[in-house]
Amino acid sequence: MALDYFLLVFIAAIGVYQIVAIPAGLKGLWFFRQPKVQYAFGVLAIIGAFGWFYTSAERNFQHTIEGSQQLLLFLGAIISAYFITAILASIIQAAVCTRGDTPIKGKQHDLGMETLKTTTLFGGILSSLRKQREKGD
Amino acid sequence: MPPLSGWTLWITGFVDKAPALDHVMGFLANDFIVPVAIALILLGLWVGHRDLGRREQIQKAIMNASVAIGISTLVVRILNMSDFWPRPFLVDDFVIRESARYAAQTVFYLPRDPSFPSNAATISFAAATGVWFSHRKAGAVLYFLAFLWVFARFYAGIHFAIDLAGGAMIGVVTSIMISKVFMPRTEPLPTLALKVGRFLYIA
Repeated sequence: MALDYFLLVFIAAIGVYQIVAIPAGLKGLWFFRQPKVQYAFGVLAIIGAFGWFYTSAERNFQHTIEGSQQLLLFLGAIISAYFITAILASIIQAAVCTRGDTPIKGKQHDLGMETLKTTTLFGGILSSLRKQREKGD
Repeated sequence: MPPLSGWTLWITGFVDKAPALDHVMGFLANDFIVPVAIALILLGLWVGHRDLGRREQIQKAIMNASVAIGISTLVVRILNMSDFWPRPFLVDDFVIRESARYAAQTVFYLPRDPSFPSNAATISFAAATGVWFSHRKAGAVLYFLAFLWVFARFYAGIHFAIDLAGGAMIGVVTSIMISKVFMPRTEPLPTLALKVGRFLYIA
């Protein structure tokens, strides 16, 4: 049951990230170049996750997942879904397009996700490391 | 017997009249479906705004809602220690008890934890109120989901109306106190937490 719950949240969260990355302009999280395809993928992931969870077994029964355990599983699932999304998007985008090697202006603790508007997670980390090395020199 | 317990008899009387409705209510009353949907909406709001300033505002509201959910759950735990009244399918009144038992067995299951206040109402209304202050549309959607969840549980005969109203009130009041009184006084801690999140690319 705990694994099923984790998978429900993990898959649905990947769908949510794909959908909300479009209006937020976070291209570093995109799996697809066309927003419509990405939107469809996100919707299918969410519907698929909920559909699978509810129909694959009887879910209305006295289970043993406590509220605190549910919270931990949820946090684990959304954080891992976020980094899996960012890593997959980094790999896909590195394979299909060549991005400009422009350094990102500003500090990471001020920018946060904003960095993902212009680069991928890998690109952002590389840019931060490069900046630190330049400071060191 | 709690006040308004006759309402439970009335609502559970609908069970088995339309099996499709029972299925929908079983789906909505589930312990995971609606809470995950609510949490995913919070997640979407956390990420999904183009403007950095507005995103930060919404992220702070979500932090407030999360703290409110935690505190209100604690309040429910404390209240659960004193037994107010049993679940509808465990009361002395034969007619209410058997009607609620049949509804719960048909639509849901027979939970063992205390009836008052409803945990579901508490956390869902705390989340909706926390978001409402920063994002009216999303707040309205969350209130709607919260209402659906608690209504389905009322239909399933596992709560009296007063359990749900009490839980919702605890959630709303806690969320208002957290968002308007407590969290603004804890600055710069929420801002620092967001900076750490930004450093890790998650905020």
